[in-house]
Amino acid sequence: MIEITLEVNGVTKTLSVEPRRLLADVLRQEFNLCGVHIGCAHGACGCCTVHQDGTPRLSCLTFAVQCDGASIRTVESLGGPTAEHSLQQAFRSEHGLQCGYCTPGFLMTLVPFVDEMVEIGRRPDDEEIREAMSGNICRCTGYHGIVAAVRKAIDDGLGEGSVA
Amino acid sequence: MKAGRPRHIGARVQRFEDIRLLSGSARYIDDVRLPDMLHLMFVRSDTAHARIRSVDTSALSDLEFPTWVFTGKDTAGLSMKAHQDYPEMQYSEQPLLAEDRVRFVGEPVAVVLAEDAYKAEDAAEHIFVDYEPLPVVGTMEQARDAAIPPLFDGWKSNVIVQRQMKGGDLEAAKAAAAHVVKRTYRTQRQAGVPMEGRGVVARYDHSDRVLTVWSSTQMPHLVRTYISEELGLPESRIRVVAPDVGGGFGVKGQVYADEVLIAWVAMKTGRPVKWIEDRREHLIASIHARDHEHTLEAYVSADGRLLGLKADITVDNGAYSTFPFTSAGEPGMVGKVLPGPYDFHAYEATFRAVATNKCAIGTYRGVARPSAVFSQERLMDDIATELGMDPFEFRLKNIIREFPYRNVLGFTYDAGSYAESLERMRKLLAEDVAQAAASHGSRTKRIGVGIACFIEQTAHGTPDFTRRRVPIETGYIAARVEMSPDGEVTIDLGLQNHGQGLETTMAQVAADALGVQPENVYVRHGDTLTTPYSVGTWGSRGGPLGGGAVHIAASRIADKLRAIAAHLLQARPDEIELADGLASVRDNPGRHIKISRLARIALRNVDQLPEGMAPGLEAQFSLDGPRDGTYSNAVHAAVVEIDVPTGKMKLRRFVVIEDCGTILNPLVVDGQVRGGVVQGIGSAMFEHFIYDGECQPLTTSFADYLMPLAPEIPNIEVHHIETPTPLTPLGAKGLGEGGAIGPAAAIANAVSNALGVNVSATPLNGNAIWNLSRHLRDAS
Repeated sequence: MIEITLEVNGVTKTLSVEPRRLLADVLRQEFNLCGVHIGCAHGACGCCTVHQDGTPRLSCLTFAVQCDGASIRTVESLGGPTAEHSLQQAFRSEHGLQCGYCTPGFLMTLVPFVDEMVEIGRRPDDEEIREAMSGNICRCTGYHGIVAAVRKAIDDGLGEGSVA
Repeated sequence: MKAGRPRHIGARVQRFEDIRLLSGSARYIDDVRLPDMLHLMFVRSDTAHARIRSVDTSALSDLEFPTWVFTGKDTAGLSMKAHQDYPEMQYSEQPLLAEDRVRFVGEPVAVVLAEDAYKAEDAAEHIFVDYEPLPVVGTMEQARDAAIPPLFDGWKSNVIVQRQMKGGDLEAAKAAAAHVVKRTYRTQRQAGVPMEGRGVVARYDHSDRVLTVWSSTQMPHLVRTYISEELGLPESRIRVVAPDVGGGFGVKGQVYADEVLIAWVAMKTGRPVKWIEDRREHLIASIHARDHEHTLEAYVSADGRLLGLKADITVDNGAYSTFPFTSAGEPGMVGKVLPGPYDFHAYEATFRAVATNKCAIGTYRGVARPSAVFSQERLMDDIATELGMDPFEFRLKNIIREFPYRNVLGFTYDAGSYAESLERMRKLLAEDVAQAAASHGSRTKRIGVGIACFIEQTAHGTPDFTRRRVPIETGYIAARVEMSPDGEVTIDLGLQNHGQGLETTMAQVAADALGVQPENVYVRHGDTLTTPYSVGTWGSRGGPLGGGAVHIAASRIADKLRAIAAHLLQARPDEIELADGLASVRDNPGRHIKISRLARIALRNVDQLPEGMAPGLEAQFSLDGPRDGTYSNAVHAAVVEIDVPTGKMKLRRFVVIEDCGTILNPLVVDGQVRGGVVQGIGSAMFEHFIYDGECQPLTTSFADYLMPLAPEIPNIEVHHIETPTPLTPLGAKGLGEGGAIGPAAAIANAVSNALGVNVSATPLNGNAIWNLSRHLRDAS
C-alpha cells in the first residue's frame, strides 16, 4: 500500500492505495464521483476522461499512485448538479447525448478545446471539431449533436462578431 | 379517443433527463453499492469446444482473503431455455454454468467471489479447468456438413431449425420471367457494444424472502418472470430494477444466464453480489449479431416488373438460443421482411439457423433487417444494372403505391410514403448522380451514389408473436398515470429508458391530454416495484405503444377532470377544454377553473365531487401492437468517394428521408435516426467480429473491434415525411431501429456504382475497397 494525497474537485484526501489501483476506481469509490465512467478499461473509448492538473487524461489507464499531489477535476466540477456549464447546456440544446454514458468523457475532452478556441478567437470547422473528439466513442448520437454542441459553445463564448 | 389540439406533441422539447446525465448525477449499474457486498468474477472457457475433465478450485485456499466459489455442479439443472414451439426445431439449453461441456470461448464455467473486485480477479486466476478439446464447428458450411457431429447430444445435425414461408405461384413467375437474376449476399458477424457494458447486482433478504436484482437491462419485467420460473420464487417477491442504462441497442434486450445466476448466488451466499462486465467479456460473451448469407433469385419481366422472389437464408447462430427471441428469430425475420416495399405476388423463402462454436446471435438494432435490406437493395440495383435501368426508375416501377397493401405473405401494410420518398430523394441527389457519372472514366478518383429503400414493421403486437410461437409471447406496453392533489402528474411507464428520451416524450404526450405543461409530468420507469407489467423497450415500440398507452391513460383522467369541471362550472363535459393548466368552457374562456384545483377536489375536497363520483385521479392502460404492426418507411442515400491508388473510401454525404408517422419530438427523432445511421455505417464499413478457424475470437478489444469515430462520419442529413397511421392512438410508428437498417445497403450500392463492380458482402473496410478497386489499378 502506498500513501498518496489527491485534490479532487476542491476536496483533498490522503489515502492508502494499492499500486495497481486505477485512478478511475479511486475517484469512483473513495471520492464517490459516479460521473467517472469506465467504458473499455483499455484506453480506447475516452469515457473515463478526467483532468489531471488541467490536462485531459484517461483515468482507466492511470494508476492512482501516479497522481500523488495532483489536482483532479471530474465532470461534477463543471457546472454542478444542474449542469450549468455552457458546453453542458449546448449538449442539451443540440441533443449531443442520449444514454449519457460517454457524455462525461466527451465533456472533459472538449471543454479545454472549446476554451482554447474561445481564447484564441477562432471558429474551427466541423472537420477540426470532429478531430478533437476522435479519442472518444459515442454509440448513440452519431456525433452529429456533439459537433453541433461544440460549435454552439464556441459561438456562445466568442459572441457575435468578435471574430474577424 | 382523439387528442385535443396538440401543443407539446411535435415540439422540439429539450430533454429533462439530460440534466442528470450531463452533471454526473446519473446512476448506472456500477454505481449500485451495498453494505457487505461481494464482487463476482467469471471463469470463462478459453476453448471453443471441449469436454470439461475437471474444475480445480483447491488453490483458492492459498489466498489470504476469503473467497466463495461455484461451478456447474452447484448449479446443475439451472439453465436458459429459449425454444420456439416449432416441431422441427432442435432444443439447445445453456446451463447457467457449464457442467461437462463448453461450446464457445467465453462460456461461463465457474464464478468466484471476494470482498473486493480486484481480489475476485486474483482469485479467478487460482481456478484451473482441464479441457479435453473437441473438433470445432466453425463455419456455416461445416454446420451443414452431415459428417460433422452435432454440438448437442441427441441432435440430428447442426441445423437448429429450417423452415419455409411462401405465397403465390413461384413456378408461374419463373416461367413468365424474361430475366432471372441470382445472387448471394453476405453480412458479417458483429457485436452491439453499448458504451456501458452489462452488469448485475443482487440481494436476497431471507427474513421477508424478497429478492432484489439490479440489472442493466431493457426488459426488467421479463428478467423478473424468468428468475421466478427458474428459481421458483414468487414474482411478487422479486423486484428487478434497471437503473440508468448506458445504451442497449437490443444487446440488453434479452434475459441472460448471468442475471439468473447472480440472483441464485446472492441467495446462496446470503450476501449482496455484484458483477460488472468488462469489455472483453462483453465482446466475446454478450450476444453477437448479423452473420447472414442469403441467396436470392429474382424473376423479372421484360419490361422490368418484379414477378417473384426465391430466397435461401442461413444465419450462423453460434452455440445457444437466446431468450426470448430464440435462434429461429433472426433467420425467420429475414424470410418475413424480404418482400419489402415492392409489389410482387410470388415468393418462397427457406430459412435456417445453424449451430457453431461461437457466441449466440441475439437482437441488435434492426434485428436481421440490416442484413435483409442489404440483400434486397443490392438485388434491386443488380437487377436494374442487368436490365440497363436507372436504380430509381426500377424501384419506382415496382414500388407499392396503394394502401392498405396486403403483401405476398399476407401481411397488411398501413399507409406510407414509399414512392414520394424515392422521388424526393432523386431530386436531392441529382447533382451527386451527375458528379458520380462524370467520375466514372477516372482511374484515380471515383464517386458513387447508392440508395436503400425499405420498410420496417414496428410495434409488433401479440398476434405477430403468436404466429411465430416465440417465447416473448406478447408485445404490449403499459402505463399508469396519476395526478396528485397539487395537479402534478406521475407516469409509471412499462418501457425502460436508455437514451430514447422517454422521460421527455411521454411527458409531452400526457401534457397534451391533460392540459398541463410537460415540466409538470414526472416519468418513472425501469423498476418492477413501481411500473406495470410490460415487455420492455425494444422493437421500436416506445413511441407508438408507450406513447399510445400514456395517451389513453391520461385521456381517461382528462375525462374525469372534465366531468368535475363541468359540474363546478355548470356546463356539459364535452364543452370543457383542458389547456395551459386551466379547465375552461369552450367559447366562454372566462368561465374556468384551475386543473390543480380540480385535482385537489378529486383527491382531498371530495365532498365537492359530483354526486356518486369516486375519488381519485389515476388510470392504467396496456396497449398491444396492431395485428401486423405498423410500417415505417425510409430511403437512405450514400455518396462515397474512392481514392483508387490507395483504396481509401470517404463518405461524402449521407441523406435520410424517413416516415415514422406522427413525430412526438423532432429533436429526439433526428437523434434516433442519426445515431442509428452511424451504427449502420459501422456495419457497412468497420465492425467485424472475427473468429479464427478454431473459433478463437480475434477482436476482443476496441483496438481490434473498430467502431465509427467522429472524423469518419459526415453530418447526416435528415428529412421527414409524416404519414400518421390509423393503427396507433397518436398516429406514431416506430423509428428507433430504422436508422441502422439502410446504411449497409446504401453504401454498398454506392461502392458498386463508383467502381462498376458487384458488391456482395460487408464490411466494406479498407481491405475490401482495395480488392474491389483492383481492376482499375491493374488497367492503368
